[in-house]
Amino acid sequence: MGGYGDVQLLRDDGLRLDGRKIDEMRPVAIEAGVLPAADGSAMVTHGLNVAVAAVYGPMEAHPRKIQRQDRAVIDVRYNMAPFSTSDRIRPGYNRRSREISKVTAEALESVVLVERYPRSKIRVEIEILAAEAGTRCVGITAAAVALADAGIPMRDLIVGVASGKVEDTVVLDLDKAEDNYGQADLPVGILPNTGEIAFLQMDGDLSPDEFNLAMEYNFKAAAEIHEIMVDALKRRYEGGEN
Amino acid sequence: MVELVPTLLRQELARLAEDDLRLDGRGRWEGREVTLETDCLYNAEGSAKVVMGGTIVYAGVKFELRTPWPDRPAQGSLMCGAELRPVAHRKYEPGPPSPQSIELGRVVDRGIRESGCIDMESLCIVPGEKVWGVMIDIHVLSDGGNIFDACGLAAIAALRTAVVPAKRFDVGEDYTLKVNGTPIMSSFTRVGGRYIYDPSEEEELGGDERIHITLGDEGHLHSLQKGLRGVFTPAEFAEIFEVAHLRCTELRELVANQEGN
Repeated sequence: MGGYGDVQLLRDDGLRLDGRKIDEMRPVAIEAGVLPAADGSAMVTHGLNVAVAAVYGPMEAHPRKIQRQDRAVIDVRYNMAPFSTSDRIRPGYNRRSREISKVTAEALESVVLVERYPRSKIRVEIEILAAEAGTRCVGITAAAVALADAGIPMRDLIVGVASGKVEDTVVLDLDKAEDNYGQADLPVGILPNTGEIAFLQMDGDLSPDEFNLAMEYNFKAAAEIHEIMVDALKRRYEGGEN
Repeated sequence: MVELVPTLLRQELARLAEDDLRLDGRGRWEGREVTLETDCLYNAEGSAKVVMGGTIVYAGVKFELRTPWPDRPAQGSLMCGAELRPVAHRKYEPGPPSPQSIELGRVVDRGIRESGCIDMESLCIVPGEKVWGVMIDIHVLSDGGNIFDACGLAAIAALRTAVVPAKRFDVGEDYTLKVNGTPIMSSFTRVGGRYIYDPSEEEELGGDERIHITLGDEGHLHSLQKGLRGVFTPAEFAEIFEVAHLRCTELRELVANQEGN
């Protein structure tokens, strides 16, 4: 984490710079089925973050060396659009996006019933159109809704959420300033029905108590986001389309 | 991915063409409904979203400070690039930019650049030392046919809303980028033996060569491109050129209306 001690992130009244309480998440809106060309898709706005996920497949797995005889593989590409950040990003894969793609794929493989599709591949494309801290979590949420929208059987959804620490205080859902200047970041992918965790990363400094509190906040937020995900899927299919 | 061209689709398109019909019921020169949204992306200095049937495209404008080219010390630069990422269709695969996406970006780039709508000298801050580089990035999210027109429209609409972030770069106050004109692209594809405007995904799959025409405010040509295998006659071009004027004018009005709001 940045660890710049001179940036004030909590106001004197105890609220955060954007006016949120310490356990309050940014507003989330989700729409399923936004991309006509894809088999399944979703757009998630989370604060100022905008992520779009598309799912293609199951399809033939190639190159053949990625094939698994007993299950499908999930091929995830997390990508930030060149105009998604304040300084333009050069198009193309970098080390950060490779790592995020890998751990996201492994998280999704933990919930999709991959045994149903041996030797095949499911492509998940995550595009970040606007970034304001927490894009990997927003991407996971979008991917989960897109997989459900594509009709791919899953044992549960996954919700991506993050908590962290600023000025020695645990806060839910870091925004950009808090992410840049805060002391810790704990992004997780939570299975809302079983309460299991399929995605976990962390950097910074958290005591065991702070970790427990951050996790508690994450579970609380995951339950809220889960409702919005389910609502998006219901709206998509209740209309009688498809 | 190898695209199989279905013989049955080609036969069906040819049969429809005999009665001057199209698969989705449109007239030969009729476009799909277009929706345009601008200023829709946080972090981009100018942005636009275009939805055209099943096609969805975003464009974002970014600025950077750079040293000018030695032979043009008092001019900034403009670059327009398009990415056909795998998100947009199952036929697109990851990897280095494909010839298709390079063609797409360059055709859009030429239309905007050659229209002269950006005065390159206005992008100069200190001659020989410091100029603005303007980058338009086009992101195709869903390819439902005719991405060329959607990309051209998104690019110019995003550019026209761009605000130069001078403050962030410590070179003065932010100001709206001056854009003199609205170059617009119209694309035509040969389907069932004759040209149609604004091809859908299926019409592109079962069609032949395509022609892209970019017209400026005065109706002048700024960019032409013929793509894919096939030939056309001067008479055929004259016909679609007439149509291009009408369609470009309509889309230019759409951009103007959006800005008026």
